[in-house]
Amino acid sequence: MDYTLDLGAVTRNMGPLMDGLWVTLQLTLAANVIGVIAGFALALLTTSKLALLRWPSMLFVEFFRCTPAIVQIVWFFYCVPMIFNVFWGPVFMGIVALGLNLTAFNAEAYRASIQAVPREHLDAGIALGLSPTQRILNIVLPQALRNSVPVLLTNGIGIFQQSALVAIVGVADLMYQGKTLATATYRPIETFTVVALIYLAISYPVGQFVNWLERRQSHS
Amino acid sequence: MADMQDGSALVEIHDLHKSYGPNIQVLKGLNIEMMPGERVVVIGPSGGGKSTLLRVVMGLEQIQGGEIRFGGKPYISTKGGKTVIDTEVRKQIGMVFQHYTLFPHLSIMENLILAPRKVNGESRASARERGQKILERFGLGAKADAYPSQLSGGQKQRVAIARALMLDPRLMLFDEVTSALDPELVAEVEAVILQLAEQGMPMMMVTHDMWFARNVASRVIFCAGGVVVEDGPPEQVLGDPKEERTREFINRVFHIKA
Repeated sequence: MDYTLDLGAVTRNMGPLMDGLWVTLQLTLAANVIGVIAGFALALLTTSKLALLRWPSMLFVEFFRCTPAIVQIVWFFYCVPMIFNVFWGPVFMGIVALGLNLTAFNAEAYRASIQAVPREHLDAGIALGLSPTQRILNIVLPQALRNSVPVLLTNGIGIFQQSALVAIVGVADLMYQGKTLATATYRPIETFTVVALIYLAISYPVGQFVNWLERRQSHS
Repeated sequence: MADMQDGSALVEIHDLHKSYGPNIQVLKGLNIEMMPGERVVVIGPSGGGKSTLLRVVMGLEQIQGGEIRFGGKPYISTKGGKTVIDTEVRKQIGMVFQHYTLFPHLSIMENLILAPRKVNGESRASARERGQKILERFGLGAKADAYPSQLSGGQKQRVAIARALMLDPRLMLFDEVTSALDPELVAEVEAVILQLAEQGMPMMMVTHDMWFARNVASRVIFCAGGVVVEDGPPEQVLGDPKEERTREFINRVFHIKA
């Protein structure tokens, strides 16, 4: 292979990459705000006793869990505007698509955490005279929320990585800027390596933090 | 604590039927009358309905028939196939379970004062003061701010007993509370229960520890096949059982060849 590495081609053009990173971080943060809040509401719906609430919410979860994220994003960008005759800015569309995807996965995390609260704790709550609402608020939710944090963080950083998919529909995120830069400089190896390292530099510490958190929780 | 006022029963269990699903009948017309101040130990083979009986008395299970009265008042009955439980009556009963049921996200003191505050509306200061007294009585005064994960199994069970006592129950239920403990931790939990027994706390318990049963019980009930097979003072039921099934069970437990 006759290729001389020239990292300078990338380091001289860090501006657009940083702009892209900023968009990626905005997508990630906003999608996580949606996912953490709506995911909890959805988890409550999927555990509802009313079939009318339970079935549609389970369908929503399964749709997002059982289709590729890239299909969801493309479908969102091309089909939603045609069906509903609306189009918001590409970043906004990206946030909604990623946010709904994360909502489905976080709902599963919350649901698993709620169901992991030992039955005996609820029995003890009854034996202590607590009402059903008091048992949910004082026994189930505090334990479930605490147990769900590592999975929420893992899902959240997963969305940071998945957000690179919005590049294909023209959102100017880190991946999109990398592609543009690689084409303009004819330096794909340097550019995509730096892009990958930027994703890694942000994901890795979060992953390590999740490991630490899980170790801490398993001790208690 | 003990209400020995008159001759009326504290717990009246009449013709109790309980099944899990359509095929598994656990209690088949069980009758027990327990007087105030009695300490009833229920023994019997696995699957004989002992733990189920305690869970029903705690109001944790649906029943298929029969009724329970507590302190002379209707407590649990069935109506149109559904179980009706008077939750106000239920609040007078406390229970400690086999597996540790301390809430892991709350400190020991917070475990103790949760129910008094939420259920009885007691002030935090007053509940904490009572909680500290009970903890000290059980040798756990220094553990108020610890979390359950920092305690040994024996300490956890003592805290679980203290937590139940915070609500001044008129009856305590103990469901195999030492079965999950390492052998060296059993004595400290049993000592606390004996202490309560000496103070006249009415209790109903399931245990596999026959030595402890003999020490704590004022009455032993042998339960098998979902009914009461034998019922009497501990010396008699454990020492010289009348019924053949009881004798077989006792011999097996004490490893005596029948």
